[in-house]
Amino acid sequence: MVRLITHNLLACHAKGCTSNNFPLQLKDVQVELRDAEYNADFLRGFISRIEWPALVDAARQLGDTSLPNEPPEMMDDDFLQKLHHVLLEIHIEEGAMICPNCAHVYPISNGIPNMLLAEHEIG
Amino acid sequence: MGQQYLFWFAQVHDDFRIPELQSVAEIHGFDLHIPQDLDASRPFCILELDHEEHARLLARRCILIRSVCEFYARGSTYEELHERVRQQRPRWSCYIEDTSFKFIVTAYNHTIPQARQREVVESFSYMDFLGKIDMKSPEIIMTCFEEYPDKHGTTRPKDEGDGEFKEVFFGRLIEEGSARPLVKKFDVKKRLYYGNTSMEAEISLLMANQTLAAPGKLIYDPFIGTGSMAYTTAHFGALVFGSDIDGRQMRGKDKQPGIIRAASQYGVAHCIIDLCTFDVTRNPWRCGELFDAIITDPPYGVRAGAKRLGRKSRQDKEQPPTSPQNIAFRRPDDQPYIPPTKPYELSSLASDLVLLARYMLKPQGRLVFFLPTVTDEYEELDVQSMLCDGMEIVANSLQNFGSWGRRLITIRKATTEHFAPPSFEQLDNVAHIPAHKDFREKYFQGFKKSDVEQISELSDQG
Ligand SMILES: C[S@@+](CC[C@H](N)C(=O)[O-])C[C@H]1O[C@@H](n2cnc3c(N)ncnc32)[C@H](O)[C@@H]1O
Ligand SMILES: [Zn+2]
Repeated sequence: MVRLITHNLLACHAKGCTSNNFPLQLKDVQVELRDAEYNADFLRGFISRIEWPALVDAARQLGDTSLPNEPPEMMDDDFLQKLHHVLLEIHIEEGAMICPNCAHVYPISNGIPNMLLAEHEIG
Repeated sequence: MGQQYLFWFAQVHDDFRIPELQSVAEIHGFDLHIPQDLDASRPFCILELDHEEHARLLARRCILIRSVCEFYARGSTYEELHERVRQQRPRWSCYIEDTSFKFIVTAYNHTIPQARQREVVESFSYMDFLGKIDMKSPEIIMTCFEEYPDKHGTTRPKDEGDGEFKEVFFGRLIEEGSARPLVKKFDVKKRLYYGNTSMEAEISLLMANQTLAAPGKLIYDPFIGTGSMAYTTAHFGALVFGSDIDGRQMRGKDKQPGIIRAASQYGVAHCIIDLCTFDVTRNPWRCGELFDAIITDPPYGVRAGAKRLGRKSRQDKEQPPTSPQNIAFRRPDDQPYIPPTKPYELSSLASDLVLLARYMLKPQGRLVFFLPTVTDEYEELDVQSMLCDGMEIVANSLQNFGSWGRRLITIRKATTEHFAPPSFEQLDNVAHIPAHKDFREKYFQGFKKSDVEQISELSDQG
């Protein structure tokens, strides 16, 4: 849980925090690898929603360097398998995600991130 | 011209039958023509399909189908039925020579005594089947259904009114409804993790079919609670994302989150993409157009009141003491700081949900959710008025509990335009006040007319 696909979709949403609020920085994370079902169509359909540099960076921080700096023109099976692994099989179980802009800490426990805001942080 | 097929439905949720057939046809990419005058409250209906395979596909996925037959004839008496079966001879003559067979005679709302069942079977002897009778594994099964009028949902004693049926139907069985047993499989009481907000298995399955769940799709429940619809949606192959304002609902007491434990029991833990704790009206989604469907049972306060981050305004303090809102929002186990929450009125929640869905869904994506409503006051406009540009109603099925009910609403995003995320600001001057407005208050007052009026007066001022 907190797979990298999720990390790639969450931005800080504290009041007034509208720029430089993504990607959230990973801190003190514990990672687990778990198999997921491979579905090439899902990956091909989803790639347009991904912020590529953020995904590559997060994967590298967690020790996976399999992805190229730019998504390739030709999405062959070899590439899609790597993408599958990075997006869906790396799980952050413990740790925190921190906003690069306002430093809000979103803690992760037992795989579930707490994205709730404090009272003074709501618009 | 296609062939006619006889559908036999389970004796429940009649308002959900046709929407389910249509959704499953859409999942498999074929057209289903529903005649205008079809009475879906009856347990039998005859539909024309282009291929027998379509009938099989429907029977394998529709929760409400008990069986599908190739349709031969119907009649208000056996004389009428037999005459028509004779006319259909070319349809069944291929089975005369050398096909093993058996006959089943059964009834809706009635049990036919065995002796008469045998008589009925014998009355078909003009069909002259020469193959052997095989009760265990026949090549074909001929089925005869008698439909009796509903006597307040009770089956009558064996002999009472025997033979006084409304209509009798006859056909060749082609497929038993094999999705129906899923209702047992997903039984909440046998689940490793559930709570008092868990949605019953049958409805969770019907909802999953309304989303068109299938492999490769990504589906979101923004009020996931204990995850009832996540399991059924994932069972049909979709990937599921869930969030809830209250982490304890998703976690339960063990280290491994309850939703993951229950999903493992069903073999779909790998399909639960992630669970997050947040208020959906203050959500952290970086962008929209992520999901193929949103499936949800929004909080309407009977069991789990809707809340959102923010301070309550003063007038909210005058709520009845039994109201769940007055029970303090206890400290979630997953956070050091508990933000205060305020109640969230149902009609604004419903229109916010449609706006959120328009932002978060891909084009053609579906929003499937329940809307509770006061039976006597409901108007079609209630549902129409919560729509916004680009969102259209696909289905609206009532589950009736008497003075109140809930409607399963299916909405399609029928536009490719891009939309901004909703602001979740409460609108002050709403043109139409739907019957589900202030539903929670109405519920706790037992839907007394005068009280209901008082409440809407109060909230008109507020
Ligand atoms: C009717 S329950 C859903 C039950 C769920 N279908 C299940 O199977 O358990 C509604 C859920 O909405 C959550 N909720 C209430 N207000 C919310 C909000 N503003 N944002 C997110 N979740 C909220 C409640 O904590 C509750 O779990
Ligand atoms: Zn921030």
